[in-house]
Amino acid sequence: MNAVDAPAHETQTRTKKKSDKPWQVVVLDDPVNLMEYVSRVLIKVFGFSKEKAEELMMAVHQRGRAVVWSGNREKAEMYVNQLHSAQLHATLDRAE
Amino acid sequence: MTVGPTVAGGLKLVPETEQDWMLLIGIAGDSDSDLAGRLAGLMDEDSMWDEIVAPELSEEFSKQRITVVKEVMKAKEEGEDIHILKGSVEVWYGALNQARLALEDKYKFGAREEVDPQMFEDPSARAAYFRNNFYSHVQGLLLQYVMVD
Repeated sequence: MNAVDAPAHETQTRTKKKSDKPWQVVVLDDPVNLMEYVSRVLIKVFGFSKEKAEELMMAVHQRGRAVVWSGNREKAEMYVNQLHSAQLHATLDRAE
Repeated sequence: MTVGPTVAGGLKLVPETEQDWMLLIGIAGDSDSDLAGRLAGLMDEDSMWDEIVAPELSEEFSKQRITVVKEVMKAKEEGEDIHILKGSVEVWYGALNQARLALEDKYKFGAREEVDPQMFEDPSARAAYFRNNFYSHVQGLLLQYVMVD
């Protein structure tokens, strides 16, 4: 490996690490969707227990947003699709 | 208008005046057709949400609005009450939600305790506020009495 190759290798390593980070499904707060409905949707989409769904719903309500799932992008998009279908405000984010 | 649960596990809406009927027919009118687009705006460009997902969601939301208006018009023509049963509750809830999301987008009511009293100087905003509260009340009843597992 010569001196020119070395930085390129580091860049590749950094890029790989970045792409390995999981995607997060984030639910955003809004003043319209009723709290009970948000819990209900989280149970239906993710199969959470009632307690877990209510905990996440309260996190959304109090902090304005909450990560409700993380994993690969394809599955994360599928979940966001279902949340949008239920008219919840949701998006994808990259884990830090 | 009287609204209440039924022994069949549904919710009955009993419009008593022409104004009540117009309120129900207006659910679709309060909605806008760009909800799917606004939700797509929350996604990054890589997802191509606008091209792939939003059109399907737009169609789904449109069906909710059309179904509710058809059910209301049919009940009005036949002089019947409106029964929302488990089979159609998601459609009704969704249509009411669309109306509330659109009203919120237009008037920025925010949480109920934050409403600015000056807003009521605008008659259209005042009327929209009370429609929004009615829609929200019906949604609460649907959750309580119909959307139970």
